[in-house]
Amino acid sequence: MPPRISSAEIDGHLPLKPLVFQVLLALTDAKRHGWSLVREVQQRGGFSRIMPGNFYRTLRTMLAEGLIAESTSRGDQREEDERRRYFELTRLGEAVAGAEAARLEAAVVEARAKRLLARSRG
Amino acid sequence: MTLYRLLLLAFPRRVRREYGEDMVRMFEAQLRTARVTGNSRLRLWCSAAADAVFYGLAERFGAPSHRPHIDVRRRGRWRSWMDSVRLDLRYAIRLFLAQPGTTFIAVLTLALGIGANTAIFSAVDAVLLRPLPYEEPDRLVMVWEKRQAEGVLENVVSPADYLDWEKMNTVFESIAGVLTLTADLTGSGEPERLVGAGVSPAFFEVLRLKPVEGRFFRQDEIIPGRHRVVVLSNGLWQRRFGGDRSVVGRKLLLNGVPHEVVGVLPSTFEFPDPTIEVWAPLALAGGTNPPSRTLHQLTVYARLKPGVALDQARTEMDRIGGILSAEYPDSNRTHGAWVTPLDEHLREPIRAGLLLLFASVAFVLLIACVNVANLLLARAASRRREVAVRAALGAGKGRLAGQSLTESVVLGLLGGTAGLLVAYWGIELLRQLAPSDVAIVGLDRMGLDMRILAFCAVLSIGTALLFGLLPAWQLAHQDVNEALKFGSRTAGGVRRRLRVALVVSEIALASLLLAGAGLTWRSFQTLLRAESGFTMDGILTSLITLPGARYRGADKLLTTFDNIEQRLKAIPGVVAVGGTSALPLSGMDGRRGVGIEGREPTPDAPTRAHPRSVTPDYFRAIGVQVIAGRAFSSADRSGSPLAVIVNDTMARRYWPGQSAIGRRVALADSEWREVVGVVRDVRHWGLDRTVNPELYLPQAQMPSSALVFTLRTSVPPQSIAGAVREQLRAVDADLPLSRVRTMEDVAAESVAARSASMRVLAVFGALALILAAAGIYGVMAHLVAIRSNEIGVRMTLGARPADVMRLILREGVIQAAVGLAIGLTGAVLVMRSFRSLLYEVSPADPMTLAVVGVVLLTTALVACALPARRAMKVDPVSALRQ
Repeated sequence: MPPRISSAEIDGHLPLKPLVFQVLLALTDAKRHGWSLVREVQQRGGFSRIMPGNFYRTLRTMLAEGLIAESTSRGDQREEDERRRYFELTRLGEAVAGAEAARLEAAVVEARAKRLLARSRG
Repeated sequence: MTLYRLLLLAFPRRVRREYGEDMVRMFEAQLRTARVTGNSRLRLWCSAAADAVFYGLAERFGAPSHRPHIDVRRRGRWRSWMDSVRLDLRYAIRLFLAQPGTTFIAVLTLALGIGANTAIFSAVDAVLLRPLPYEEPDRLVMVWEKRQAEGVLENVVSPADYLDWEKMNTVFESIAGVLTLTADLTGSGEPERLVGAGVSPAFFEVLRLKPVEGRFFRQDEIIPGRHRVVVLSNGLWQRRFGGDRSVVGRKLLLNGVPHEVVGVLPSTFEFPDPTIEVWAPLALAGGTNPPSRTLHQLTVYARLKPGVALDQARTEMDRIGGILSAEYPDSNRTHGAWVTPLDEHLREPIRAGLLLLFASVAFVLLIACVNVANLLLARAASRRREVAVRAALGAGKGRLAGQSLTESVVLGLLGGTAGLLVAYWGIELLRQLAPSDVAIVGLDRMGLDMRILAFCAVLSIGTALLFGLLPAWQLAHQDVNEALKFGSRTAGGVRRRLRVALVVSEIALASLLLAGAGLTWRSFQTLLRAESGFTMDGILTSLITLPGARYRGADKLLTTFDNIEQRLKAIPGVVAVGGTSALPLSGMDGRRGVGIEGREPTPDAPTRAHPRSVTPDYFRAIGVQVIAGRAFSSADRSGSPLAVIVNDTMARRYWPGQSAIGRRVALADSEWREVVGVVRDVRHWGLDRTVNPELYLPQAQMPSSALVFTLRTSVPPQSIAGAVREQLRAVDADLPLSRVRTMEDVAAESVAARSASMRVLAVFGALALILAAAGIYGVMAHLVAIRSNEIGVRMTLGARPADVMRLILREGVIQAAVGLAIGLTGAVLVMRSFRSLLYEVSPADPMTLAVVGVVLLTTALVACALPARRAMKVDPVSALRQ
């Protein structure tokens, strides 16, 4: 049984940059390689144009911080491409993404309480 | 993708090795997506460049925490210098990252300047600097007929003279004559009219070409009977035969006669006339008639023997010219021979135009330099304290200046890198703008190769030194004590004068460039409005040639052309139809000696004219005015009295002060013809050319097998082009159709080269104006900011806001006026040396200079007004407290 991740360690990463959070979200379903990650993140909206330099620097930082790891086996068998580098979520990454989601949810709850969201929901 | 890989060099190698491929693939995918969705790829490239440079440098220099500490004391001298450079570099880049806005503007400015220069340089390099794309090009020459008395050095050569040169000379390894022809290709597929050339078999030896298929001509193939062979251009081979290798040995029907294809030219072969697609051996001797010594028609190319100098060849050809003059005094008394390097012949016509572009783009870069120098000065000003502290702690002047220069060089290289992208697109743009049917040998080689990259690198560093020296000098020479004191009140003297100098030079540079562009534009406009002598709009033209093999005899020609004319006239929307054997501005022409009754031609003053056959309605159709006598009518047919019409120039030259009507002229050896009319001059050879004597003959009395039909229409001419083709096909389905063009297209093509360079120049002018406006604004804003203290004092002492406004504006206007005076004077001086590019516009054209002056003064005023408004709102109290 691996040791529990301390909440202090998780809080150290918060709040997450939007791009980092989206990458974590995209990786919760499956392992992905760079370009499929980009498409996924773009489809979730908000990032109309992510350029390679920015994107890979973000990935490298996330790797260094232990939020994601490089995968040895491919997740998506349909994409027959060995030259691609696959990424997956670490336990830390998963925990941090969860904590960020909770943080955002709290913010949303507060916003709703203050009727910021009331109008748009009809 | 090579370009993107170049961009990735901004990243450290370890990152590239690990992620480089991924990044390339990601970018490829983005490009594909952009192509599919129709998003701008230019924008994508720009973002990619900014992204690579920014994050690449961040990777290199942005995360210093795990870098080893450098202990300067333990290193040797060289190493320690290297270390200090490295520290400077890292410092510079952190500084840039800390002020991304300023950095971005500086890099963008430099990228535009350096990129535009690199693009133009690649054209200059490809067209003017590199050797011509032939083997040992410095031995290639052209040989011309020289007529010193008439001031003509480069005239085409008569076949008999050419054959004598070939026999007698001792200086050429090989020599070849070229005659441009047209050939109608019929038989399989669409009939088509081709431009071809008859050449001496030695032609391919002169240029040292190797066929990609088959062979070239043998020496015996100029003998009549064996001469029905052709070599195809690579373009025709691909276009018409799909690159099929079995074409060698096949027979083609050219002008109705079968010719065997013996070879194909390589695709790399560029000839001064790119329209030539078939090459045939030129049979000059051995026919029934002896070769002519009076019909001048050959262009002659030759290769010098190894070791023979140009002067030697000229002396030799002078000797031969002398012998021929003595032997054939009738035809050759005043004729000699003249040798010019091929290189010079091909490049001279475009040299001035390209150099003008190069000069103007250099000015754009200078303006960019001034802008960046100003940005750096402003930044240096805000860092005075910091630098002073470092000086106080023991940093030497050299060290401080070195650090500032390092910053400039880094900035220059960043600008250069981004400039490569600008250059890449610029070159694409130049390719598209280049006139397609004007031969510019070598233009295809234009591109971002190692030479151009090296040029770009040197230019970037040179630019950096240019704009970086001033701020470096300033930093190193500032008074540490003054700077360390509180308050920047003492910014004063030197720095202000520097900035005023910057504004003045900026305006001077911009006005110089704008005046140059303006003058060129004016002369282009004048040229377009030049009195052409005929109507340009509402006219459709189409060249029709009746192949001699099927249309034998004058009667058949005349009835067929008559039939065509009637059919064309019947097309709805056609007002008048005429035909001519030589359309103005199309390059078709010929010149003959003519006999003028009562006037003996002398060798020094020969009587010549350019004859053309026209149909009765031609003058009405193309809008040429009859100024005396009458136009031709259907009564001027074969059998009726022979009639001619002359142009105004001919009438005035040969019958000065008298009426030309009723005079008689004779063509070469035939009978006297009476002048029945005089028409206005037509600019036949180009809008900027002089008019020669012209002689119009009725087509019915002097039938030509090739006529250009001109249709005056009451509807947009292009709209009936289809109907014209249909009618022609109805007359003869095998009739090759040359292009159906409007007269305006014909005219536009005749000025295509000028209009292309005009457009490039306009882009540079606009770029210069924008950069200058931004620069002036930047300097003025800063000047106002550092004077806010003084303005505060003035306002405390009772100056009203309007006074402050006036003060700032007055200074701006004075500076602009000084800059204008310098710039416009410079423009007049510079444009004098480009006079050959101006058409009927003086380099000191007051209209152009005035417009440039007004535009720049307005720009300067607006650029000053914004900071001046800010100055008006200065709060005296807070300004004084600073």
